[in-house]
Amino acid sequence: MSDGRSLHVEAAQRGLARVWIDFESALATVPVIARLLGGRLRIEDYRSLLFNLRQQVVEGGRWISRAASNLSHEELRSLFIRHAAAEHRDYRLLEDNYVAAGGDRDVIRSGAKNIGSEALSAFMFHAASRAEPVGMLGAMFVIEGLGNRLAGPWAAAIRDQLGLGEDAVSFLAYHGENDADHLAMFDDALALAVTDEAVAVDVVRHAKVVARLYRLQLEELDNV
Amino acid sequence: MRAFITASGQCLPGSPVGNAAMADHIGRLSERCEREGRLALRQNGIRSRHYAMDANGRTDWTVARLAAGAVADILDRAEIDRSRIGYLATATTQNDIMVPGLASLVHGESGLPPLEVSSHQSVCASSMMALKGAALQISAGEHRAALAVGAEFASRYFRPGHYAETDTLSADGTLPRDAAFLRWTLSDGAAGVLVEDRPAGRGLSLAIDWISLRSFADRFAPCMTGGAMAGADGTLTPWSHADTIGDAARRGAFQLRQDMDALHRMLPVWLGELMRLVDEGRVAVDEVDWFLCHFSAKSLREEMVRLATRAGCMIPEERWFTNLYEKGNVGAASPFLLIDDLLRSGRLRAGQRILCAVPESGQCIMAYALMTVVEGPQ
Repeated sequence: MSDGRSLHVEAAQRGLARVWIDFESALATVPVIARLLGGRLRIEDYRSLLFNLRQQVVEGGRWISRAASNLSHEELRSLFIRHAAAEHRDYRLLEDNYVAAGGDRDVIRSGAKNIGSEALSAFMFHAASRAEPVGMLGAMFVIEGLGNRLAGPWAAAIRDQLGLGEDAVSFLAYHGENDADHLAMFDDALALAVTDEAVAVDVVRHAKVVARLYRLQLEELDNV
Repeated sequence: MRAFITASGQCLPGSPVGNAAMADHIGRLSERCEREGRLALRQNGIRSRHYAMDANGRTDWTVARLAAGAVADILDRAEIDRSRIGYLATATTQNDIMVPGLASLVHGESGLPPLEVSSHQSVCASSMMALKGAALQISAGEHRAALAVGAEFASRYFRPGHYAETDTLSADGTLPRDAAFLRWTLSDGAAGVLVEDRPAGRGLSLAIDWISLRSFADRFAPCMTGGAMAGADGTLTPWSHADTIGDAARRGAFQLRQDMDALHRMLPVWLGELMRLVDEGRVAVDEVDWFLCHFSAKSLREEMVRLATRAGCMIPEERWFTNLYEKGNVGAASPFLLIDDLLRSGRLRAGQRILCAVPESGQCIMAYALMTVVEGPQ
């Protein structure tokens, strides 16, 4: 039988799982993802996806470490710091993929965030800047879930549809392979963080907001 | 909802067939194929099943006759005469013939009077579509007695003659994994229930509290298919679009296939539905006395336990009731087989709650139903 505290962790896990289901459902209706799932992706689509993702991914290490600096729970802070260290150079893979897919490195490096990425990024820094930002675990759940559940199949579909080599899809493929470990780490973090109902609600709420803003980022490709 | 399962029944053809004798019924393709079969059996955990196909590849059975056999068994144990049945809902994966619907064929075979029929074709979850249709018809007062029956005759598609001269069968006599797994997993039979507007006067009935069924085809491509030709990029073309019927057959359109990887991607969505029901207060995990879960492979069950435990949705395994290992995976008949075997087990007590879970891999459907055991007039 569960004790009171683990009941809250379980409720958070259920809430997150449900946010994920709605998110995945809605993603399939975003034009670029619908074309990907329907086998109609063009190379320009893929380059645009990489270009737009890069402008937000480049900040990943920063908001995670800012959140870490605002956490007083030492073990949680340690998990956030390790996560930031693991992620903060990921954008370089994106740039390499962009070049392998026929793009120009200087162009992707000098790009601006689309209006969806702008909203996503602003929310991340806002939330990370608050005291004790444990709700950020919900944001991480969505981002890691994308990697763990979708990046692998997306990488394979993009490679096959566009006849690209592994060197052009390694960002997605890497997350497809490694985010299972990250999700296991996430489970540990959630168990540490969710001490009452309010935290559980906060974590799920962050996940909901980030899921919507992430979708907005994909809906607004190249709208800067 | 006010609808009660007052009787149940089943029709499993022939004697149980153990793993060693399976190939006598579905035939032998090659040594390598049989080795793959042993691997599939380790995955699904099934030890025996029933086949409507005899050891020589002959049969007197059809899906409609199996279903009619189940109808007869239900009525043998019902308190009402067959003339009182107003509604017949059938469920199957593949009908005997393409036209007309299975409910008409079953009606023709079963000696039922003129009644309303409804043919449900999907995969395992078609059983719950049929049951929900029957329960709503009763609950709405449209009929007072309804039958919901699921039936399958999969083994006929697994005989060597169904693979001969097709691209599915490779030169060395092996099948791709997506075609091999189902060959060693699915078997034949029928089962069903009688749904009435009141509990049986004697013995136990099941009050149907609710049935929830949701499709997730918005995000999943078809993953268990039959009747399609798969292109190199995975796109599916209906068999009828081939230049000739022979061409469709040669391109493997008529093999049943199951993308095994997709099953593991669907699992979180199936469980997510349970989480929704828990959060909405429709399922209280601690109050479920019997968990009837139709699952196609033992390996999936283990993953399910891990995910459910993490989210506080785990129903302790001692409350799970399964007959998969002895009766096999009979698709749309399986959920009714579980209900029938549980009702006959002598282990049910009035007041107990039964949660049924029926996932369908086809293009991802998840159905749950909650029932309460009742005794005597309510």
